[in-house]
Amino acid sequence: MNGRLRGQLAGALVLAGILALVAGSLGALASAAGASDGLSGIGPYLVRILAFSTAQAALSTLLSLALGVPLALALARRRFPGRHLALAALGAAAVMPAIVVVFAVVAVYGRGGWLSGLLAQFGIGPAFRVYGWPGILIGHVLLNAPLVARVALDALARVPAEHWRLARLLGFSPLAVLRHLDLPVLRAELAGLASLVFLLCFTSFAIVLTLGGGGRASLEVAIFEALRVDLDFARAAALSVVQIVLCGTVALALHRAVARAPVGHTLRAAIPRPDRDHRGLRLLDGAVLALGALLILPPLLSLAAALPHLSALLDADVARALVTSLAIALASAGLATGMALALAGAARSARLVQRSGRAAALYDLAPALVIAAPPFALTAGLFLLVRRAVDPALAGYALLPLMNALGALPFAYRFLAGPAMAGGERYGRLADLLRLRGLARLRIVDWPLLRRPFAAAFAMAMALSFGDFGVVALLGGSELRTLPYLLYERLGAYRLDEAAALGLLLVLVAFALAYASSRFTDVSH
Amino acid sequence: MHLRQTIALAAALALGLAVPASAQTKPVLTVYSYSSFVGKYGPGKTVKERFEAVCGCEVAYVAADDAGSLVGRLRLEGESTKADVVVGIDMNLAAEAKATGLFAPHGQPLTGLALPTPWKDDALLPFDWGYFAFVYDSNKLKTPPASLKDLVDNPNGPTVVVQDPRTSAPGLGLLLWMRQVYGDKAPEAWGKLKPRIVTVTKGWSEAYGLFLKGEADMVLSYSTSPAYHVGAEKKTNYRAAAFNEGHYLHVELAGMLRTAKDPELAKRFMAFVLSDQFQSAMPEGNWMFPARTPAAGLPASFNGLIEPARALLFAPEEVQSRRRAFTDEWLNATAR
Amino acid sequence: MPPDSASHPRLVLDEARVVYPDFVGRYSLAVEAGALCAVVGPSGGGKTTLLHLIAGFETAAGGSLTFAGRDLTALAPAERPLAMVFQDHNLFPHLTAFQNVALGVKPSLRPDESERQRVAEALAAVELSGLAERRPGEMSGGQRQRVAIARALVTRKPLLLLDEPFGALDPGLRRGMIRLVDDLRRARGITVLLTIHTPADILDIANTAAFVADGEVVAQGAPAAILDPARDPRIAAFLG
Repeated sequence: MNGRLRGQLAGALVLAGILALVAGSLGALASAAGASDGLSGIGPYLVRILAFSTAQAALSTLLSLALGVPLALALARRRFPGRHLALAALGAAAVMPAIVVVFAVVAVYGRGGWLSGLLAQFGIGPAFRVYGWPGILIGHVLLNAPLVARVALDALARVPAEHWRLARLLGFSPLAVLRHLDLPVLRAELAGLASLVFLLCFTSFAIVLTLGGGGRASLEVAIFEALRVDLDFARAAALSVVQIVLCGTVALALHRAVARAPVGHTLRAAIPRPDRDHRGLRLLDGAVLALGALLILPPLLSLAAALPHLSALLDADVARALVTSLAIALASAGLATGMALALAGAARSARLVQRSGRAAALYDLAPALVIAAPPFALTAGLFLLVRRAVDPALAGYALLPLMNALGALPFAYRFLAGPAMAGGERYGRLADLLRLRGLARLRIVDWPLLRRPFAAAFAMAMALSFGDFGVVALLGGSELRTLPYLLYERLGAYRLDEAAALGLLLVLVAFALAYASSRFTDVSH
Repeated sequence: MHLRQTIALAAALALGLAVPASAQTKPVLTVYSYSSFVGKYGPGKTVKERFEAVCGCEVAYVAADDAGSLVGRLRLEGESTKADVVVGIDMNLAAEAKATGLFAPHGQPLTGLALPTPWKDDALLPFDWGYFAFVYDSNKLKTPPASLKDLVDNPNGPTVVVQDPRTSAPGLGLLLWMRQVYGDKAPEAWGKLKPRIVTVTKGWSEAYGLFLKGEADMVLSYSTSPAYHVGAEKKTNYRAAAFNEGHYLHVELAGMLRTAKDPELAKRFMAFVLSDQFQSAMPEGNWMFPARTPAAGLPASFNGLIEPARALLFAPEEVQSRRRAFTDEWLNATAR
Repeated sequence: MPPDSASHPRLVLDEARVVYPDFVGRYSLAVEAGALCAVVGPSGGGKTTLLHLIAGFETAAGGSLTFAGRDLTALAPAERPLAMVFQDHNLFPHLTAFQNVALGVKPSLRPDESERQRVAEALAAVELSGLAERRPGEMSGGQRQRVAIARALVTRKPLLLLDEPFGALDPGLRRGMIRLVDDLRRARGITVLLTIHTPADILDIANTAAFVADGEVVAQGAPAAILDPARDPRIAAFLG
């Protein structure tokens, strides 16, 4: 192999694996026996779904960025007691299972929710109806603004220490700090982050249906319908292709629109920001933090209502599911971060060694492809592929971590791509000179820079897999039971309190993971 | 948690992990069902114990997340499926289920069933049933609508939360119910009801949860739902509204597979399904009417449930062929 | 304070202290106005900390720090009469050389005509007039450091701190850069403090030298005599 391409080997393998997996499973689905009406029967329906999905996803993305970026800036500028808890709350909110989001939003904004209770105190009637656009947007912003804030905060910490010293020496105004220090690093993240959020909202399912007020759907609903009700697998595959093409186009357009600025070099150090003492900015940050807390905390806190039911919940069933969930989450987080590292390394090598932005974009966009590929369809297709070779019940044990890892890959990639790139720009030539390759290079050159984002990526991937229901729905069974699976089981048996307690447990675990990782990732401690 | 409990829990955990399935030589009957059937509160455990006591076999459940996904899973697995029998197919997917060609005749006599409609299918056997109904809290809603028309026509009537017909069985049930009552005028009826539909959820669970949290006056559920509140919670305020046009029927089905490893055993299970031992586990396990009333009768919690004058029903084949058109109609009528 | 301090501006540190959990620096040093002072010593000995203390990135935990008789300790870095050049990361990668220099006069990057003139003049002084529109990614390491020096000049501050500014350059270039700094010092009458770990490059150019180790100025004096192993065992250890 050409020496200049050697650095891309692992990433290329992962990329090829993802492509083969998506193509293989959709192919298997498309060629499954059975009559299909294809897409012709649902033309107008499809157009309506696509128009709505695009609109809601675009608006959700804009709002999530509009709240998440200022939140990240405020958190970067301010130190306050409980800041680590706030960061952990962001991490937990970003990975809440959709069903938990639905009930949390309703608990705060619903007809019998806190807000209407508060308004009633002032004699204001039910003026606010959450179901519809407000519900969808609140649900999506609740999930994604914390994600944006978390990733952006990490990016902000990559401003080199020298730049902070320069800013202090040259007496930069807060505006100049924003313009010359913060925005350039944010800009490098923005395209990837925006397309991640867009895709998440575009493919959102339970939130769009339940909080949408009815008659609405995402493409994912049509795919679900084709798979589960019409049993028209070919149509499911065709719809999946439509979704992948559409999402791919959006991701590519964003990638082009927001060109990646050359990153500076990273050097994390606790340098006090010169804009911390500006009074106006202090007020602004206070307002942003208060707004963020006001939007994100009440729904999270509403889950605490299930606290009294938590102790009654813990039985052997739940304990087993907890252990199963943790084992699967560990496996898929390992897989997801491993794949993300390989892709990030390949993107870096393509950009720095091969000098090909196009090749780099290929690796950058691979995780986006994974979100766009509907998990229901992928899992079903894989099921078809492996069923002849392996016992389907056994296949679940391998497929579940793999599918969850794929689901977490885009998140892990967002955390790792930036620092990996920075490591390459800073030490790449030196490492080449020393002929450091593969694992040795990872350990000596990259790991010191990647350690913290890796912890964040691992924790988030774990929490995501931990709370995943979409895939376990198809693969789970009486043997393979995870906590989200139990949640639905209890909900289906009228046991709302137990389901709520399970939801709380899921979020608590995500919170603990995020807390542990934020102690690793934040430079101020 | 007390220390003893902790130790017991740890022991259970260790055992559970170390011995995934008992390594006995007894024949194994693999039963596909849905999660709330085999779950902690479902009738699955009782059914398993009682059948194992008489069959000299072991019952192993494989659970899909809900009834809707069972048929899809069978389709995916095809002839390589491990299932010997399936318990929990939604009647509205019966045509799709049979179209897989995977089911063998159940061979059971279909007499003496408690279903409000004659049942003649020789592949799929009903094991429990209920009506779709709107459930309300009688402490909050004093005068529930007396008919579907009453609910639809009154602009100041109660608000409802319903399920999406594209993703849930009750949602599809309401779609068909409206169609039965209104015929081709169903879209207009949906248009009238629309302002009072709080939201349309993905599945029954979300809708019922929202209703219990007070998001709507009524929720589309089953006529047997109040029995749960009486039996498990000793609450009598949750009631189903009786509609005088009749209620749409919901029947859950079981079937044995052509590919069953031990067809004799599978057939014995099918016979067991209609026995008192199985049927008596349904009312307070699955909170549905048993397909054949056990000799001991129904539990007290089932007293006072509504008894609709008419059971409304489309044939499964008709559901299969017209579902798409009905759904599009509904989408057009309710799209905002 | 010496009575002639007002007429002969100079940098004076008297027992100025920096305290960390694992490091204590206590510095005493005096540099004449317009002199070039070379700060040499082992890595980790506290050279950079000394510069950061003078620049205000570290807060003095005691002692005094004055320049031209003026106490600097209470001033924010931007208010101190000094500019600084780091070993690396001096430039913002998204800005051109011209803009990077212009930050020294107008952080808002909207210089008026006379300020543009000043920027152009500073770039000319480091012989980079032709590269004004290049970004750092399109320049060599030496060119990037010259842009950083131009930015320090354009601030017109009387004290220039350079922290290992040419450590990454090859030896020939390094000598040239030091000469450039020295020429600019003479032409503009600024005081220069420069840390360096290759003393041979500078001792024949500098006016004075300080040997820093273990967080203190072990010796200060004529450059030619500073590296005398007899003066201190730490100097002997440094020389090997």
